Amino acid sequence: MGKATRAGGGGWHPLALAAAAFAIGVPLVVAFHWGQQGWRDRHENYPSRPQGYTQIVNRFGQPCSANARAISMSWRAADNGTTYRFPFHIKLGGRSTEMVSDKGGRSTNLDNDVYGHIQQQHLQEHVDHGIYGYACRAKRDGGEWSTHAFGIAIDVSSAEEYMGKCSSTVNRHHASIWQNHGWYWGLAFCDPMHFQFATGY
Amino acid sequence: MKRTIAIVAGLAAGVLTSLGIMAVAARTAPEPMPFGPPVGPAVGSDTGAGELLLVVVGGVYPSRSDAEVANAAMPFGDLQGYYVVPVAQFQGFRQLTGEPGDFALVSVFRTDEGAQEFAELAASFGHPATILPERVRSLGGLYAGLGQEPNDDGSGPLTGPVADSLP
Repeated sequence: MGKATRAGGGGWHPLALAAAAFAIGVPLVVAFHWGQQGWRDRHENYPSRPQGYTQIVNRFGQPCSANARAISMSWRAADNGTTYRFPFHIKLGGRSTEMVSDKGGRSTNLDNDVYGHIQQQHLQEHVDHGIYGYACRAKRDGGEWSTHAFGIAIDVSSAEEYMGKCSSTVNRHHASIWQNHGWYWGLAFCDPMHFQFATGY
Repeated sequence: MKRTIAIVAGLAAGVLTSLGIMAVAARTAPEPMPFGPPVGPAVGSDTGAGELLLVVVGGVYPSRSDAEVANAAMPFGDLQGYYVVPVAQFQGFRQLTGEPGDFALVSVFRTDEGAQEFAELAASFGHPATILPERVRSLGGLYAGLGQEPNDDGSGPLTGPVADSLP
């Protein structure tokens, strides 16, 4: 070490010691905090993300099928305290983890990994009311099945991030978490509330 | 010796050729369809003419334009909500609602589960949703959302009549 880090007769400079303690301590505190929560990002058994309608059906089944609504989870909106319970596809969650009881699902994607990341990064304050999953309905103002009918789409903060809005004020804080777990963000087509596990449809 | 080499070379060439053909065929083969050929992607525009249907009502209005304005004020996120239809296309509708008006916001179903599921969805958005106490007969007319409910067997959407919807 150079002179800048030495204090007088060869001892460590107090600032250098403080910086080292900070560099070592902060990750340990964060790790301890996460460990206490009993959560980790497991990334287990994710299906590959389909492209287009035919691949969606081949991977997830027909719209409105039993698998499309086989798993459900609860999520509390930060702004008004409403707890939403919504179903989703059996392949996108419900697998037993430290934080999720076994619901007979096939992967850890939505209820452990995406939700867990949002909680652990203290981004829950950016999840506002209007949280929806599976619905056996067509797209708005269109005759095609919605990705919600397959249980592979989630609307978050839907009142604030309404359809037709081509920017994001709330979901932008956690959109990267969804994207890192295979979800495609509807902001690309001016639907910032919408995250879907498919592209090209 | 030459014959042996020729046989080995021929076999090798044959095996390589067949491997190449199989690889090309596999790459171009259609993806298997474990859930059968896709329905849709368009929702069928089934009116259920002649069937007895369950109706979820969002409101009754004197004119089409009034109903359309009201419908625009009831968004279901990125999902299709109610459909604007003339009440005259359902035999028995007026008697059951008791409300004056020629146009209504409705979504129709063949099963109790489908109607209940949609009513709960509408309620979660804060919109009115009343399931008429009795089934009404569809006389055809405009599409009113039929087919957007799950089949009991879990395979996909219900696309045909059930025992309760047959007269």
